[in-house]
Amino acid sequence: MNRGPKILSNKVAGYSSLITFAILLIAWIAGFSSRLFAVIRFESIIHEFDPWFNYRATAYMVQHGWYKFLNWFDERAWYPLGRIVGGTVYPGLMITSGGIHYLLHFLNIPVHIRDICVFLAPVFSGLTAISTYLLTKELWSPGAGLFAASFIAIVPGYISRSVAGSYDNEGIAIFALQFTYFLWVRSVKTGSVFWSAGAAISYFYMVSAWGGYVFIINLIPLHVFVLLIMGRYSPRLLTSYSTFYILGLLFSMQIPFVGFQPIRTSEHMAALGVFVLLMAVATLRHLQTVLSRHEFRKLFVVGGLVAAAFVFVAVVALTMMGVIAPWSGRFYSLWDTGYAKIHIPIIASVSEHQPTTWFSFFFDLHILVCAFPVGVWYCIKQINDERVFVVLYAISAVYFAGVMVRLMLTLTPVVCMLAGVAFSGLLDVFLQEDTSKKFGNSAYSVTETDENEDPTEKKTLYDKAGKLKHRTKHENNHENGISSNLKSVVILAILMILMMFAVHCTWVTSNAYSSPSIVLAFHNSQDGSRNILDDFREAYYWLSQNTADDARIMSWWDYGYQIAGMANRTTLVDNNTWNNSHIALVGKAMSSSEEKSYEIMTSLDVDYVLVIFGGVIGYSGDDINKFLWMVRIAEGEHPKDIKESDFFTDRGEFRVDAEGSPSLLNCLMYKLSYYRFGELKLDYRGPSGYDRTRNAVIGNKDFDLTYLEEAYTTEHWLVRIYRVKKPYEFNRPALKANERLIPPSNFISRKNSKRRKGYIRNRPSVIKGKRTLK
Amino acid sequence: MNWNCLYLAIISCLLLLNSVKAEIINKNVERYLDLSSQLVKTTIKINAEDSAGVPIKEYVFTAKEANIAYISAKDALNNDLKLRKEQSNDDQRFVLTFEKALPKQTIQIETVSVGNVKPYPEEIKQNEKQLVKYAGLLYLYSKYKTVTQKTQIKLSSSNIISYTQVKPFSVSSNKIILGPYENIKALSDEQLAIHYENQTPFLTVNSLERTIEVSHWGNIAVKESIEMIHSGAKLKGSFSRYDFQKDGRQSGQSAVKSYRTYLPASATGVYYRDMNGNISTSNMNVQRDFIDLELRPRFPLFGGWKTQYILGYNVPSYEYLFSAGKNYQLKMRLIDHVHDNMAIDKAVINVILPEGSSNIELMTPYSIKRRQNEFIYTYLDTTGRPMISFSRSNLVENHISDFTLKYTFSRVSLLQEPFLLIGFIYFIFILTIIFLRLDFSIVSYHHNKSE
Repeated sequence: MNRGPKILSNKVAGYSSLITFAILLIAWIAGFSSRLFAVIRFESIIHEFDPWFNYRATAYMVQHGWYKFLNWFDERAWYPLGRIVGGTVYPGLMITSGGIHYLLHFLNIPVHIRDICVFLAPVFSGLTAISTYLLTKELWSPGAGLFAASFIAIVPGYISRSVAGSYDNEGIAIFALQFTYFLWVRSVKTGSVFWSAGAAISYFYMVSAWGGYVFIINLIPLHVFVLLIMGRYSPRLLTSYSTFYILGLLFSMQIPFVGFQPIRTSEHMAALGVFVLLMAVATLRHLQTVLSRHEFRKLFVVGGLVAAAFVFVAVVALTMMGVIAPWSGRFYSLWDTGYAKIHIPIIASVSEHQPTTWFSFFFDLHILVCAFPVGVWYCIKQINDERVFVVLYAISAVYFAGVMVRLMLTLTPVVCMLAGVAFSGLLDVFLQEDTSKKFGNSAYSVTETDENEDPTEKKTLYDKAGKLKHRTKHENNHENGISSNLKSVVILAILMILMMFAVHCTWVTSNAYSSPSIVLAFHNSQDGSRNILDDFREAYYWLSQNTADDARIMSWWDYGYQIAGMANRTTLVDNNTWNNSHIALVGKAMSSSEEKSYEIMTSLDVDYVLVIFGGVIGYSGDDINKFLWMVRIAEGEHPKDIKESDFFTDRGEFRVDAEGSPSLLNCLMYKLSYYRFGELKLDYRGPSGYDRTRNAVIGNKDFDLTYLEEAYTTEHWLVRIYRVKKPYEFNRPALKANERLIPPSNFISRKNSKRRKGYIRNRPSVIKGKRTLK
Repeated sequence: MNWNCLYLAIISCLLLLNSVKAEIINKNVERYLDLSSQLVKTTIKINAEDSAGVPIKEYVFTAKEANIAYISAKDALNNDLKLRKEQSNDDQRFVLTFEKALPKQTIQIETVSVGNVKPYPEEIKQNEKQLVKYAGLLYLYSKYKTVTQKTQIKLSSSNIISYTQVKPFSVSSNKIILGPYENIKALSDEQLAIHYENQTPFLTVNSLERTIEVSHWGNIAVKESIEMIHSGAKLKGSFSRYDFQKDGRQSGQSAVKSYRTYLPASATGVYYRDMNGNISTSNMNVQRDFIDLELRPRFPLFGGWKTQYILGYNVPSYEYLFSAGKNYQLKMRLIDHVHDNMAIDKAVINVILPEGSSNIELMTPYSIKRRQNEFIYTYLDTTGRPMISFSRSNLVENHISDFTLKYTFSRVSLLQEPFLLIGFIYFIFILTIIFLRLDFSIVSYHHNKSE
């Protein structure tokens, strides 16, 4: 492999770089365009929940400038607490799109910031493909790199987080992750300060973009540590790691949200420990060259023990003193999948924090998940420094992906790389042409196959197969023992598999990952037309237009970002779930009776309550289905008032029909969801009040609201908004003094001072200290 | 100030004297009041006569109504008369000048006024009907004596709660005829009040910003951003979707579910959106000479509810842009139809001309307020496109008419942008060639791959 480029003539080198360029370009374009399903089917719109916050923050930054953004105190979130956005956000995403916006406007290209946000992730997917190519090229061969780039461009596991409109940290973070790893591998290979400083800068970008940077800062030390154990210490390693660690540490502390965490939390301690260890090893190596053998052994044992004990005691002591923060809850949930369910219901309530099923591995990665162990095996068989890295990357990513669905994202790039290695290895064996052996250029032949329409290949496979068969077979028998029949069968099979992979990717992207989730579409079964349910935007726009500017809206935390982004109103809780007790208070309000929750709502100055109700159209993600999480979270903070068991029937079922538990049928959430639903007949034949989501006739049909009134309900009842009445409104109608028909001053009681009490005629009235009058 | 007042007093005295001498009388007055929408559309036919037989050159029409958005006057031959506005203390005077001074003149005056039909009661519940009250004058307010006059009033429905009853009068379904009344003194201002049911949409456009962007590549882009409010009776109490869905006729009658906007027939690429993206509830019907766009706001508009949206479309420039050599003339509608019987509080019109336009001259069909011209920078602009901006408040449908904008523009500057692009790409290629062919490294460095 090494000799290849040197032997190649200039002309061939030109072709190979042209092919590389073309394939990377095609990968970029294919990756970009396969992420556009949502834009084409719906429109250029921000998706889901978190992207709405990112979009709002970006728009704020573009409007008010970078420093204002850093100091932004958002009083429209977490009422009455507010949120310091500048200090609690990874600003990389906003800076990236804000920078692009600035550049385009500098060139007089008036692109709206929303469009930049929508298309940022698809554009970055191309960059991810290129950095994956570079990384795989460093690890294995350019051919494997091209495979990996093509894979990552279209693999659903990555597309799920980077479709157009899914404006989230992960969209740019995967690029930063891959690029950091590429630079790291480069720097380990070369031992050059340049590359490791580059890795540190790229790491800085990653830190500014995503909380997943912890993965890098643990994986790279692990790599170093394993290399040390394997006895693969080299000065190159020392240079690159010490440069990377020091620079990366300093850089990462520049992000306000990260701050002093890199030197104070347990998650970052491994990197420090490895740094100290590496220094110790380097010192010992140096001493080894200076001291005699006997002296050295003595020093090694004593010094090593003392140092280890010192480090251990220091870390424990610092943790006990609270200087180093212990592992956070989210971190524990990575090791023990049951941890979150017991201790932090709010983490467990998010579906993407659930353990991954086998099905979703295949769904997101298809054939790659099968080819990937082959790649790992190739790497282990031909191990060197950087392949150690990719093996560690693979093993740790597989573990994490198994723990949380969400971390499938970190697994995907390494699977693509190693599957690329596997396919490249396979084709190395089976596509070895007789002539190519003379050149020894496996890379070149692999690049050819990546484009399925390579002319020479076609020739061998289809056009003149019968004619060529004899000759190749004949020669092959002599040379490497694989018959050309077998070769073509294997190659055909590989091509078929790859084709099916592409089909699968497109299908999954189009069906599973390209729904904006704020606009729903359904197909009318009768005439096949496509209908759009735009209820979310209808409700949010109603809020933005027809409520007071400072109105406070209570809803479950899922909708906080959307309300802030689309309706621009104050919310109590949102998707940045930093304050569990505040969320629990909202959960308590939702799960208490109307009267009790009114007390909570007045204490929180709530003006409107927003609930999502899918019973009319059969939308399963509504608030009644999420209701048990509200109860659980509320129970965690208010165990005396809210008990989960109260909301189940005697047989332990969660039912909304007549057999449901009375506390469910009378809680606020139930009433708000089903207010006047009992009168609604969805079918001519069916009963009234039939909930399509839960397939039941609701249990409590006839009730009225005392403390709230319906303010707005969308066309398909998906979003219902209620206004919280002011105390005077439901108590009795208040009249202002000037509106009263009988002014209070003119009121003359028929009871004058004498007649106030009942009295008996002719009975002497006795006043103390005076004689009775007669 | 004092001197001014004195002058005014003297002048008005003189005018009064003059009129007394001339003694114009309104021989016959016929008024038609159309109260079937949110606007008050008045048509007045006046047969004026000079008692002394002196030819009448000028006639003063006095209006006591507030918020007159539009007024026009015609003579017997349907020719437009010149109107000169004079503002006095509490009423507006319009001086009409005739081309020919005749002792007998026939005048037809049309006015449209906004905000004189008011919801009463001001707040209604969802299932109640919207009742409105019109407050006006029983007789034509005129500085001249009137011999006979008659008023016909058209209402939106036959449900009339009450009205001022001065005999003779008659009512038939949704029409009221008052009069004929005889010998009415000058400047008599007896009140007329009608309380009736009016379910027509009471929509007011609070602000309209219309941006017309002219491109000499053959396209004119029009974008209107509109803020709208339902100015009828406000919704009292709660909104119930159940009632609204169950019985659309009984519940929410005055709510505006949709309305129609007419666009030019050649309009293409129509979009209807707001700050949260596309509003998917609209229908477009292409008619022969216009495009009928049925717009449904995201939510039905009840009394007091607001909405805003952006409506945009493209039209080919050959229909509106005319040229003679370097001179160009843009002729487009100043405002366009938003909804039937529309009332626009304030409209701002921006016209963006191509880069390099000069000698800009604006002619409008009625008076407008010019605003500061600006420069707009969009795709590939270097010096900026001139933007002509002007505004006017209180507009109604009668104001839909063309403005003319003349400017000069040289065709050569059209090529500036393509050349800019070509040059840029050329520059990038050159840079790449230089960078790839030459070696910029300081030391020759042999890159060791893994061994």
